[in-house]
Amino acid sequence: MEKVNFRTQVLTGHLQNHRHATTAATIYPSPCVSYVPPEISEQPFSFDVSTMRKLMDGHNLGDRDWLFNLMVQSKLFNPRLRGGKVFVVPDYNHSMEQQREITMKRIEYLLDHGAFEGWLTGKGPEAEMKKFALLEVIEIFDHSLAIKIGVHFFLWGGAIQFFGTKRHHDKWLRATENYLIKGCFAMTELGHGSNVRGIETTATYEANTGEFVINTPCESAQKYWIGGAANHATHTVVFSQLNVDGNNQGVHAFITQIRDENGNICPNIRIADCGHKIGLNGVDNGRIWFDNVRIPRENLLNSVADVSTDGKYLSAIKDPDQRFAAFLAPLTSGRVTIAVSAVYSAKISLAIAIRYSLTRRAFSITANGPELLLLDYPSHQRRLLPLLAKTYAMSFASNYLKLLYIKRSPQLIKTIHVVSSAFKATLTWHNMRTLQECREACGGQGLKTENRIGQMKGEYDVQSTFEGDNNVLMQQVSKALLAEYVAAKKRNKPFKELGLEHMNRSCPVIPAQLASSTLRSTQFQNDIFCLRERDLLNRFAAEVSQYQAHGESKESAFVVSYQVAEDLGKAFSDQAILQSAIEAENNVKDASLKNILALLRSMYVLVTLEEDAAFLRYGYLSTDNAAAVRKEVAKLCSEIRPQALALVSSFGIPDAFLSPIAFDWVAANSWSTVQN
Amino acid sequence: MASSFGETDQVLVEEKSSTRIFTLNRPKQLNAASFTMVSRLLELFLACEEDPSVKLIILKGKGRAFCAGGDVAAVVRDITQGHWKLGANFFRREFILNYVMATYSKPQVSILNGIVMGGGAGVSIHGRFRVATENSLFAMPETALGLFPDVGASYFLSRLPGFFGEYVGLIGARLDGAEMLACGLATHFVLSEKLSLLEDALCKADSSDPAVISATISEFSLAPSLKEKSACHRLNIINKCFSRRTIEEIILALEREAADKEDEWISSTIQSLKKASPTSLKISLRSIREGRLQGVGKCLVREYRMVCNVMQGETSKDFFEGCRAILVDKDKNPKWEPSKLEQVTEDMVDRYFSKINDKDWEDLNLPRRLNIPPHAIAKL
Repeated sequence: MEKVNFRTQVLTGHLQNHRHATTAATIYPSPCVSYVPPEISEQPFSFDVSTMRKLMDGHNLGDRDWLFNLMVQSKLFNPRLRGGKVFVVPDYNHSMEQQREITMKRIEYLLDHGAFEGWLTGKGPEAEMKKFALLEVIEIFDHSLAIKIGVHFFLWGGAIQFFGTKRHHDKWLRATENYLIKGCFAMTELGHGSNVRGIETTATYEANTGEFVINTPCESAQKYWIGGAANHATHTVVFSQLNVDGNNQGVHAFITQIRDENGNICPNIRIADCGHKIGLNGVDNGRIWFDNVRIPRENLLNSVADVSTDGKYLSAIKDPDQRFAAFLAPLTSGRVTIAVSAVYSAKISLAIAIRYSLTRRAFSITANGPELLLLDYPSHQRRLLPLLAKTYAMSFASNYLKLLYIKRSPQLIKTIHVVSSAFKATLTWHNMRTLQECREACGGQGLKTENRIGQMKGEYDVQSTFEGDNNVLMQQVSKALLAEYVAAKKRNKPFKELGLEHMNRSCPVIPAQLASSTLRSTQFQNDIFCLRERDLLNRFAAEVSQYQAHGESKESAFVVSYQVAEDLGKAFSDQAILQSAIEAENNVKDASLKNILALLRSMYVLVTLEEDAAFLRYGYLSTDNAAAVRKEVAKLCSEIRPQALALVSSFGIPDAFLSPIAFDWVAANSWSTVQN
Repeated sequence: MASSFGETDQVLVEEKSSTRIFTLNRPKQLNAASFTMVSRLLELFLACEEDPSVKLIILKGKGRAFCAGGDVAAVVRDITQGHWKLGANFFRREFILNYVMATYSKPQVSILNGIVMGGGAGVSIHGRFRVATENSLFAMPETALGLFPDVGASYFLSRLPGFFGEYVGLIGARLDGAEMLACGLATHFVLSEKLSLLEDALCKADSSDPAVISATISEFSLAPSLKEKSACHRLNIINKCFSRRTIEEIILALEREAADKEDEWISSTIQSLKKASPTSLKISLRSIREGRLQGVGKCLVREYRMVCNVMQGETSKDFFEGCRAILVDKDKNPKWEPSKLEQVTEDMVDRYFSKINDKDWEDLNLPRRLNIPPHAIAKL
């Protein structure tokens, strides 16, 4: 009833305003341009948002809120009053150097308040989950801050943990946790990024002195993009080709000090800045050259391989491929945190854009009628709500990935590698796409840095490149699936891993006519995703073996089969995301939650069917069925529309971390704020 | 209309041009907010908002208190004689009043010339202007009573500088007028002898403009100096200790400070924490931490859930025990159950924040308030 009254009021306002406009030049405030909080204009929520938040964030809610509190209460986090609310967001108008210094100060503040306690010295799954939760909260504030912390703890600290042995743990872990030293991670070079095995930095063992000599033999071997190196880091893990006794033993990791305690660069080290970037300017990326730097033998991180005093190379892993894989294992944690943070970034932008679209009006479609809310346009719904549904599905997927990583074991290494690669690529691509759509959906307001979304495009763009280029990662996914396929066929054994068990069953059949109820059934949704993955895997295997039959090497067969490989990688990723969404839905008891999750799941699947040309290209969907899918997507949009506010409210992102256009943007822009 | 209620009325109403002066009138009970008083205030505030001739509201108390809190003893009596839902009626009405004040479109000036505790803070701090005097005495003493800082305190305490709000809310710390001004609970400090002049000036100002009213009060106000032992001088240590994640860690941090140097303030702070209800401490801390991230409406909805859980007494009956020990028997020796912090599990704390499992129970239904000027919401 109140809604009806409100609409009448708006309508009357329009009529009156219209009359005024013809009789007087004065501007009268009319209800259509006054801000009404969506909490008042929207219908009451159909489900409990705090329960939904619990489901989405998944763990350590109290710890998350505590860290939000720490940030909100400190001037270092740049609180600003806009439209009657306080927002905390970095000042991106700061110069690069200012951004770097304030980022370091924020780290010191968090350190002083115990935010990093147990990040490296804590043991067990609980400590790991807490660390993940806190990092997620940090990146909701600022990506630079999260990355600078991530490099220190997950890359430098992770390298010590995973590549090092007790002597390294004892010496470095606590010192790292307390920032007595600042670490960085020197892997990438100017000439080699994703192809780590090709790096050119060398470490040569000298038996007479018992030292390694680290050297940058040529310009393309300079270490590049090393986060923390330009200003702050005192130590680095440097990846080098190990030469012992004239033999190259492949890539190994060494601890090298690069600055003294006063911040002066050490002898035989040269450091230069990577310069201003399109985003992430709070991180001091640098370049490093090593001029015959001598380090003690003990600085080799020796969990996988060691060199004895007299210069013997010792490794429990004989196969150099496996040895290399063991080295790369810690990078998995980076991919996990990137995938998760991409989802939180998408959540921030959707919360802002959807809240704005529930308060901003444009054009009336009847004579003298009220202007329509942006989100009441079906076209606007189609732009934002499918991205919202995907973000929900991917949020469950990222929770699944975190748990998979936490319970890692030698048996799970392959699965973790494949799933984390697929999710890192898919979720970060989804984030960039979401940011762009949300930016446009906010119109001109989206261009203001204070409204976050536009700025975040620059801040998050790097995600598709670091810790493994997305395209390279997706190729690895397809290769791993093919290896599984070949192994199963060769031994004539059923598929047991990587979610390929459905290949053991008979091929699913898609009905010729897809009714709405079928389209929304888990059965159909599962079937069509499995069908696509199964068929593409068969095609990929056939294509590669055909090339091989014509005398091509396996490697060049992969290179030329890139089209099917790409489709297959997507198919695997979508299917794995769907599985985690279904599982999350199955674990929910509450009926109101189950209903909305089912709607979102259907939206996720159907919009994927609509957008991925593979379904038509390979005939998994007839053109008639593709038309039915499109119709259903529009229907789902209108069904999800009334829940949009509740759905973004469930993201658990405090108001202060959204932006002025998500709230009273009229007050935030009023003349009185100019005067003050 | 107002004159017809006479002396026995719990809220006295005066009309002076465009100003309405409401005086809380239960001086013998230190103006404790009863159901009648709260209902009357709500009715008056809503009526004045509609009445275009009203520009300003002044709220004050008769006698030596502004308002010493909600009439908790009466609530407990109701609950023990009947059902906890009778208590819920009181809190529902009180919280709605708090919400109306927090979103009020006309300025409210509260004259805090005496005791301001619990519910007394609820009917003043949410308003636009809070005038402290040399007689002001502020406290949120709920944790010593087996309750938690309610009436929207999770909103206003959490917005005090740093982690001062945690300190004030968990300890039940007493603040004088100068301290209230220093931390932002009060907007002005005026000597009590000037109050009647201030009242006249406000009536004469005949304005709803916050800038005009602020300037008018400023003419009578002065900058009091903080007493030497004031907690406001301890902000560093308060931030360091009260920013910790849990009550246990807060106590540990304080004890570490105490180990470094002998300090009476630290030891009495630790004592207050150890005397308070362990359950109250834990739910209070969580409430303040959640409140810092929420608007005032959400804070009140959450606090209403919490207070209903407290009254229902399924997890702990500390509220009844606290009222017995402090208000009824006055032995000041409550026996808390659970008696130790470590016995209050995360799960138990969770329960205070969930809905009541009762088909007749509803979340606090806040009135829909439209066209609230932005200055009406950001009062702290």
